[in-house]
Order: sequence, then C-alpha cells, then structure tokens
Amino acid sequence: MFRQLLRNAKERLRLFLSERRRRARVIRDSLRRQPGRIEPSSRFVPSFRYGYGESEARGLELLKEWLSPEQFAQYDAKSYFEVTGCHSGKRYRISHGTSMNIYELDGAGRPRVGWCFVPKGYLVAGDVMLAQKIALETDERGALTVANKFFRVSITELAIDFYRGG
Amino acid sequence: MATQIVMDRTGDTRHNFDAKNADALLKAEERFRELTGAGFTAAVRTASGEAVVKRTFDPNAEETLFFPRLVGG
Repeated sequence: MFRQLLRNAKERLRLFLSERRRRARVIRDSLRRQPGRIEPSSRFVPSFRYGYGESEARGLELLKEWLSPEQFAQYDAKSYFEVTGCHSGKRYRISHGTSMNIYELDGAGRPRVGWCFVPKGYLVAGDVMLAQKIALETDERGALTVANKFFRVSITELAIDFYRGG
Repeated sequence: MATQIVMDRTGDTRHNFDAKNADALLKAEERFRELTGAGFTAAVRTASGEAVVKRTFDPNAEETLFFPRLVGG
C-alpha cells in the first residue's frame, strides 16, 4: 500500500513539474515578445531608463552610487551583489528584488539560508537593496533580529532528492 | 552644497542645503532629528566608500542617506 502511495505521489510530482515547465515556457516566450523589454546587460547603460518607471530608475541610480566598484560590477553582470556582515564576517548575497532576496552563503559561496527583511513602506527595488546592504554592513545583528529566515528550496533539487530517495 | 537623501516611493527625495549657512544647517539638523525620531536610519559614506550609520547630526557630512525602519519581510 505504501509503495502504491509513493508511486501515485511520484506521478503527481512528475505531472506538476511538467505543468510548471510548460507555464514557465509560456511566460518566457511572452516576455521575449515584449518590445519594451530591457535586457539585463543594458541595465546601467544610459538609455536603460526606457521602459522603466522613473522611481525604479532613481532607486537603481542611488544604489549604483553607493555600491563599491566590485559590488557594482557583480550586480551589473549577475543581478546580485555580495556583502560581508559586520559582526560575523559571513557573506550574504543580495539579489535584485524587494523581498526574499538575501541568502547567507556557505564557505564555498553557495546560497544556503535565506533572510528576509525590508525597509518599512513601499520602496523600489534599488532602495530596498541599498537599505539591506547598509544594514548588513553596519548592523548585521540588528538586521537579522527583525528578519524572517527561510530555506532555499529548488524544485529541481527537490525532484532529484525525491527520485533518489524513491 | 550638502545633501540629505530620503528614500521614498518616488525613489528618493533630495534636500540640498548650504552647510555654511547657519539657518540651513539648523533646518537640516531638524530634519535629521525628525527622520531618525520616526525610525529612519541615517548613513553616510566615508572617503573609502564605506557606509557608516550616524546617530547624531553630522554638520560636515556631504551626503546623508535616510532609509525607513527595517521589518521582517
């Protein structure tokens, strides 16, 4: 009976993953068709404001001014940058976004534990990331005290673990 | 010209003032107190580009950034 349940669960997971893949393809294709879409590599090109809200652009300009040259290069290339916590010396990766965008890195530089804290109120992504950077670099403990912790869940890793276990 | 940058929903609002003008400096200090009193964090950059949090008004700061209180997301 347990084997039957496991088989059913496996089948449902396979269907779920296949449906997610299909939906992701549809979204990706529709984004590619949008004429005003900004390529990630052109984010900091002077004309990058085209298609972006003015507020979003101002936030990114401010972030750019406050990032170190290394952080700026990293963000421009990979849409994330890394900071060092002032108390623990741990490394954190801040990805472009406004929530659930901070990962504590392990010794090998792999993201493991997620931390979620944001400035109160509605702020654009650039502002949120800048506040997160300053908080971790100047008051890591204070920032993590208010933060919510989450764990990195990759659907691919889950599926691999599931099949290995099965 | 010194600047106080306050993060808000428009991206940010900048208040420029002449740090040599006593009235302007007083106004800037008032703004600093109001914002930090409301939970904003004030940060300045050192010459090396490092961010430093300021608990009291620094009349010599060229640029002070204010961001709202942090909350769990």
